[in-house]
Amino acid sequence: MRKYIAIFKSQIQITFAYSAWFWASMISAVFQLIILFYFWHAVYQNSDTIGNMNIKQMITYVMIATILGKFMNGAGSQLAGDIRTGQIATELMRPYNLLHKLMAMDLGGKTSDFIQSAVPLLVVAGLFFSITLPESLTAGILFVVSSILGILLAGVFDLIIGLLAFWTINTWGLRILRNAIVLFFSGSLIPISLFPPSMQLISQYLPFQSMVYVPVSIYTGAISGQDAWMAMGAQLFWIVFIYAVLRASWSQALRKVTIFGG
Amino acid sequence: MVRYMKLYWHFFAAQVKVMTEYWVDFIIGFMSVFFIQFTSVYFIKVVFDHIDVLNGWTFYEILFIYGIASTGRSIHQIFFDNLWLVGRDYIRTGNFDRLLIRPLNPLFHLIADKVQQDGVGNLVLGTILLGISMNHLAFDWGFWDIVLLIVMVISSGLIYSGINLFFVTFSFWMVDSFPLMQTAFNVSQFARYPLTIYSKPIRIILTWVVPYGFTSFYPATLFTGHKNYTTLALITPAVAAIICVIAYGFWIIGLRAYTSTGN
Amino acid sequence: MIEVKDLSKDYIILKRKPGLSGAIRSLFIREKEIKQAVDHISFEIKPGEVVGYIGPNGAGKSTTIKMLCGILTPSHGEIRVNGVVPYQNRKQNAINIGAVYGQRTQLFWDIPVRESYELLRHIYEIPKNDFEARMKHFTEYLNLGPILDIPVRQLSLGQKMRCELAASFLHNPAVVFLDEPTIGLDVAVKENIRKFIREMNHLYGTTVILTTHDMEDIEQLCQRIIIIDNGSILYDGDLVAVKERFGHQRTIHFEMPQTDHFKLPASLESTVDVAEITESRVSLLFSSRDIKGAEVIAIMMAEYEVNDLTIKDTSIETIVKEIYERGI
Repeated sequence: MRKYIAIFKSQIQITFAYSAWFWASMISAVFQLIILFYFWHAVYQNSDTIGNMNIKQMITYVMIATILGKFMNGAGSQLAGDIRTGQIATELMRPYNLLHKLMAMDLGGKTSDFIQSAVPLLVVAGLFFSITLPESLTAGILFVVSSILGILLAGVFDLIIGLLAFWTINTWGLRILRNAIVLFFSGSLIPISLFPPSMQLISQYLPFQSMVYVPVSIYTGAISGQDAWMAMGAQLFWIVFIYAVLRASWSQALRKVTIFGG
Repeated sequence: MVRYMKLYWHFFAAQVKVMTEYWVDFIIGFMSVFFIQFTSVYFIKVVFDHIDVLNGWTFYEILFIYGIASTGRSIHQIFFDNLWLVGRDYIRTGNFDRLLIRPLNPLFHLIADKVQQDGVGNLVLGTILLGISMNHLAFDWGFWDIVLLIVMVISSGLIYSGINLFFVTFSFWMVDSFPLMQTAFNVSQFARYPLTIYSKPIRIILTWVVPYGFTSFYPATLFTGHKNYTTLALITPAVAAIICVIAYGFWIIGLRAYTSTGN
Repeated sequence: MIEVKDLSKDYIILKRKPGLSGAIRSLFIREKEIKQAVDHISFEIKPGEVVGYIGPNGAGKSTTIKMLCGILTPSHGEIRVNGVVPYQNRKQNAINIGAVYGQRTQLFWDIPVRESYELLRHIYEIPKNDFEARMKHFTEYLNLGPILDIPVRQLSLGQKMRCELAASFLHNPAVVFLDEPTIGLDVAVKENIRKFIREMNHLYGTTVILTTHDMEDIEQLCQRIIIIDNGSILYDGDLVAVKERFGHQRTIHFEMPQTDHFKLPASLESTVDVAEITESRVSLLFSSRDIKGAEVIAIMMAEYEVNDLTIKDTSIETIVKEIYERGI
C-alpha cells in the first residue's frame, strides 16, 4: 500500500504546474457554466418547477454535475497506450500491480485537478451563479463520500475500456463512445429524474448514474435519508462488481501477453 | 486557381483511397462523432419533454439552429482540420519547412494535407437534423431557399475555419497555440442555442468579436418566425469573407515572422 | 549555380523565465540576446559540383541551407540559386531545388509511396513521360519496387531514406540539398545511396550540397568541402588539398609481446611522440615531413621485438578536428 501512496503523492506534484493548457481548460469550463446558466434560465422562463425542481435547485444540480463530470475519465487511455506500444511488458516486470499503480496515478492527478480547477470553479459558480449550499451538513458529508465513490467507479470502468486495447486497435473510437454514454447516463448533463420513464428504468440497472447523478442528488437533497444510504450501497456494489470484472479480464489479458512472449 | 482546384482533387482522391482501405477506422470515427453529437441533441429533446418553448423558440427551431451549426462545423472539420495541428505536427517538429520548399502556397498545402474523415459524422447528423427540422418549420421551402441555406452553411463553415486560422497563426510565435485555439473554439458552444437567451454583452461578443453567432443563429432566423435579425442574417456570407481575409492577412504576417526568425 | 555573398543570419533570442509569472513578465520586459548563426559568409558553387558542407552541430549549416531553400530570410547579404533569390521568390526557387532532411519526411505519411510520387508529379507539374521514365530509373536504381505500395509510416529508416531521395530528385531540380542522408543506415544502404547520388550527378549534372557527419560520404562523393564553425567558413576548397595540408600525420601501432619497459629510442625522441601504451601495443605519432615511416619502423624493429604493426592514415575526421582546434 505504501508504494501506491508514494505514486499517488508524486502524481500530485507532477500535475501541479500551471500551463497554457490549464488556463484553456479553465476558461472553457467557465464558458460552459455561463452557457448552462443562461440556458436553464431560458428553460425556466415560463415555468417555476420542472420535474419537481425549481430554478435554483436545477442550476445547482447542473453546475455541480458538470464540475463532477470532469472527473469521470481515468487511466484507461494510459493503459491502452502502454498496451499498444508494448510498454506493458516492462511495466509488468516492475514490483507493483500495474492496475493499482495506474489507479494511484489517476487519483493523484485528480486530487491536483480538484484543488487547481474544481475548487475555483465551485467558487465561481457560488459567487456568480448563486448555487446553493448542500441541503444539510449530513448531505454535505455524504456528498463528499458519494462523489469519491462515483469517481472511483468511473476510474475502474475506464480501465476496462483501456484493457480492450488487448483485443482491438481502435480504442479511441471506443473511448469517444464511452464518453458519450457516460456523459449522458451519468446524469452530468441533466438529472436522470427528467429522463422519460423508460430511460429512467434502464438507467437504474446501469452503473452510470452512480457516477454523477447519485452524489449530486444527495447534495441537492433529491436523494436523502434512507434512500441516500441505499444509493451509496449501490455505488459500492458497482465498484466491487466492476473491479471484479476488471480483475478477471486482466488475468485473461495477461495470459495473452505471455503467449506473445512479451 | 484552377491549378489549385485540380491539385486539391488529387490530394483528396489519394486520401479517400486510403480511407476506403481502412474502412473500419472510418466507421468507428463516423459513429463516435455521430454518437457524441447525438447525445447533445437528445439532451435538448429531454428538456423539451418538460417545456413547450425555450425563450420563444420551438424544439424544431432549436434543432434547425443545431443542424446549421453541425453542417457548417463539418465543413471545417472535413476540409480544414489540419489547422489544429500546425503547432504540434508542423512547427514543433520542423515539418513546416517541408511545406515551404514546395512550389505551392503553404496554407493550401497544409489544408490539402489532411481530409478528416470523422467530420462526415457531423455532416450526416447535421443534414439529418436539417431535414427533420425543415419539415416542421412553418416555412415554405422553395428552390432558392434551399440554395440560400446551402450558401449559409458554407459561410458558417468558412467562419469556423477563419476563426481557427486566426488563432493558429499565433503558433508562429509561440510554437503551439493549440490551447488558445481550443479556448476560442469553445466560444462556439454558445452558438448552439438562440443568442436571445444570453445577456447583451455576450450577444455583442458573439456577433462582433468572435462572430460565432453567424455560424448558426443569425442564418437560421431567416427561415424561422424571428424576423428581427434579417439584416444580420443576410450579411453572413460577407462576415465569412471578411473573417477569412483578416485571418489570411494575419497568417501572412505570421509566416513572414516565421521565415525571418526560423525555429 | 549558387552564389552567396556576405551572408548573415542573426537570431534574436528572448530570455524568458519559466512559469506563468515569467510568461506575463515577458510580455512587458524582454531581455534580448542576439546570436549570429551565420556570420558574413561567401561562396560560389558551379553547376554539377558536389560539395560537402560540414561542421559541428549548431555551426550554422542548417541555417545556411534553410536560407538557400527560401525557408529563412537572411539578415544581411545576397543569395542566388540558379539565378533566383530564394527568399524573394520562394515558389520559383522551390521548382529548382530538391531536399532531403535527415529524419523528417517530405512524403505523405499515411498514403502509399507510389501515391506520394503521383502527388509530387502534380505539385511540380512534371510531364507524364519524364515522370514515368525517371520513376522507372529510380525504382531500378534504389530498388523501390517492393515498397512502392506501402504507406511511408510503415517503412524502415533505410527504405524511407531511399524513397525520400527519389522524391527529392523526381522533378529534376538543378540543386539538391541532402542533410545527413545516410544517418543511422547500414553499410549496404549507405553504399546504395551514395551510388545513386553519384549517378544523378553524372547523368543530370545535378548540383549537390551535402551536410553530413559521415566522413565516408564526403570522401566518396565530394570534390570540394566547405567547413563552417560558429557561423564562419573555416575552409573552402579541394578535399585533396586538405588531405595534403593536414594529411601528413601518421600513427603506427606496434603489437609487442611486452611493453612494460618500453622507452622511446633516443634517435626518435626529437620527431616522434608516444600516443598510447597499452599492455600489448605501443602507438607512435609523427609527421611524414619530419621522418619517414619506414625509418621509424626500422628503428623500432632494431630495438624491440615487434609481432605486428599497422599504419594509420589521417582520417578526414581528425583533419576537421584539427582545423577546429588550430585553424589552417
